[in-house]
Amino acid sequence: MRLTSFLQSDNFSGWAFILPYLIAFVPLLLWPFIQGFWMSLHEWNLLAVTFNPAAKEFIGLGNYIRLMGGDDIGWSLQPMWPFRLVVSVLVVALYVRSLRRRAVGYSHHIMAGLTLFTTVILLGLTGDWYDTRFWIVVRNTLVFVAWVVPVTTIIALLLAIALNREGRWAATLRSVFFFSQILSVTVVTLIWQLVYGVRNGFIANVLAPFGIDSPNWLTDDQLAMGAIVAATVWWSVGFALILFLAGLQQIPGERLEAATLDGAEGWRKIVQIIVPSIIRTVQFVMIMQIVLHFQVFGQSQLMTQGGPGDATNVWVRYIYQTAFRDSEVGYASAMATVLFAFMMIFSVIQFWVTKRQES
Amino acid sequence: MNQRALPRWVFIVVTAAAVLWMIPVVWMLSLSLQPNDLLSRTTANTFLGLIPVPFTLDNFRAILSIGDTPRWFMNSMIVAGTSTFLVLATSTLAGYAFARIRFTGRRIVYPLVLAGLMVPEQVVFIPLYVMFAGWDAHNSLPTLALPRVALPIGVFLMTQFFKDIPDSLEEAARLEGCGHARIFWSIMLPLATPMMMTLAIITFLYSWNDYLWPLVSAQRTDFFTITVGLAKIQGNFAQSQGLGQLMASGVLASLPVIILFLMFQKYILRGIALSTDK
Repeated sequence: MRLTSFLQSDNFSGWAFILPYLIAFVPLLLWPFIQGFWMSLHEWNLLAVTFNPAAKEFIGLGNYIRLMGGDDIGWSLQPMWPFRLVVSVLVVALYVRSLRRRAVGYSHHIMAGLTLFTTVILLGLTGDWYDTRFWIVVRNTLVFVAWVVPVTTIIALLLAIALNREGRWAATLRSVFFFSQILSVTVVTLIWQLVYGVRNGFIANVLAPFGIDSPNWLTDDQLAMGAIVAATVWWSVGFALILFLAGLQQIPGERLEAATLDGAEGWRKIVQIIVPSIIRTVQFVMIMQIVLHFQVFGQSQLMTQGGPGDATNVWVRYIYQTAFRDSEVGYASAMATVLFAFMMIFSVIQFWVTKRQES
Repeated sequence: MNQRALPRWVFIVVTAAAVLWMIPVVWMLSLSLQPNDLLSRTTANTFLGLIPVPFTLDNFRAILSIGDTPRWFMNSMIVAGTSTFLVLATSTLAGYAFARIRFTGRRIVYPLVLAGLMVPEQVVFIPLYVMFAGWDAHNSLPTLALPRVALPIGVFLMTQFFKDIPDSLEEAARLEGCGHARIFWSIMLPLATPMMMTLAIITFLYSWNDYLWPLVSAQRTDFFTITVGLAKIQGNFAQSQGLGQLMASGVLASLPVIILFLMFQKYILRGIALSTDK
């Protein structure tokens, strides 16, 4: 009797229902996550540990110091000063402007604070870094994100505004722009490597009749990053487009009509009515893309192998190389943990943005 | 939806952009349908190579009869199919429990599972690799399929779905003495079919397109998925079997997702909108 009532209790059913999922979740996500942090505290060589499980050594934060530390660390105004000056002034101006309009929230404080901290303090740091390559790949990743996210957002936003209407034609065009999104990264890189090909690439074929030689898109250190960015924008516009279309659907029709009656047309309507109405969606989509594109790997791995030199090497690819070419899984785990911490900052901002959206 | 007509120039610009957007894919398809010896001379034969004249199916015939491509394709089918099935099974059960059963501990376990949404593959792939290596389990299809089952997105979607079902539907069954298993099987699952379709399609898509995990886990060519196989043959671009066959492999690798896209575009769009709505 007691057994049957236990078997019918909510406690038993509840745990029985979630058990199959937990059997996957605990060993294949929760545990590896903890294990990754644990590994990052060790000098851990993949090959050595495979032959002798005792060959790992606990070194505390040693990997993190090796990754981010350096000798003679100082700070100065000089490095990249024009860039830092422009960005800082821009951020302060925007912040003061929204303060005046009383339109400031958590996300504004945090974004302004983070950007200022990065431009003024972090970019001013100088020193002999222990791992100079790490800073190169971090910079490349930031440059990649700084290009892909705004370009994708602007293209997707304009397309969404143009295609937010009924009818077959708009529906077909929406599908066209969304289509590239569903291809795998290896198909995208296959196509674009050929498009960029020097001898028989599509761009080269188009330029040939004009007697122009195609530049070496993927092996020129001035062009390679741009080439990867363009392919990525082509790949990922569809995703932002879908979310913007969903956001546009929620603008009340009266607001648009009222604006039209007031004589707002074209650009003025877009800038003054439409964009402010979906500004939350725009923020949300941009943050999602930032988190997503920080994890870029395939494009760099397959199109340029990180080259020329390290010009297009990115964070995840450096992790991959360190773990699977150099077998230093402890050190690679430290890099992965720092990457995760970095993405967490944006996830937290996203959480705040969504919270404010609901309230 | 905005009913007003587009200004003519916007219409033209957007249409032109769409044509431009399609060129890379159309070109891949067209090259895969042209003979290899022609492509070794020029890739711009008829109208910049966008029209497959002269036309041939030899490239597809070749990759289907020799080489590893059919095997990789089957591996991908098995891996994506298995993970889709397991994701559906585990996440409908867990979603029902989190949404509708009041059991001790759910207030701790559910947030923990949700926190897992923030952990990307790139952060756990090294420890996962070391773990499976310790079990000597690499180069096997289950190892390729299993890590995806742990991702919480399915549980999240199903929990949200089951939360919105009105209690009245369940109460009648409860009064007749039905237990949770019965309610789940005969009331909840039939209601959840469209949601399960959405989940199945996006899981299959993401699994089919996954690159990082099969890249590190499968080192033997026999166990490559089509994404990794395609990555490998494009690596030695010049000495590969020829451009036409390479492009045919690319088309073949995209075929299942293209079919899914053509048949179920609505579900894919819904899946993306819902899964970002956390």
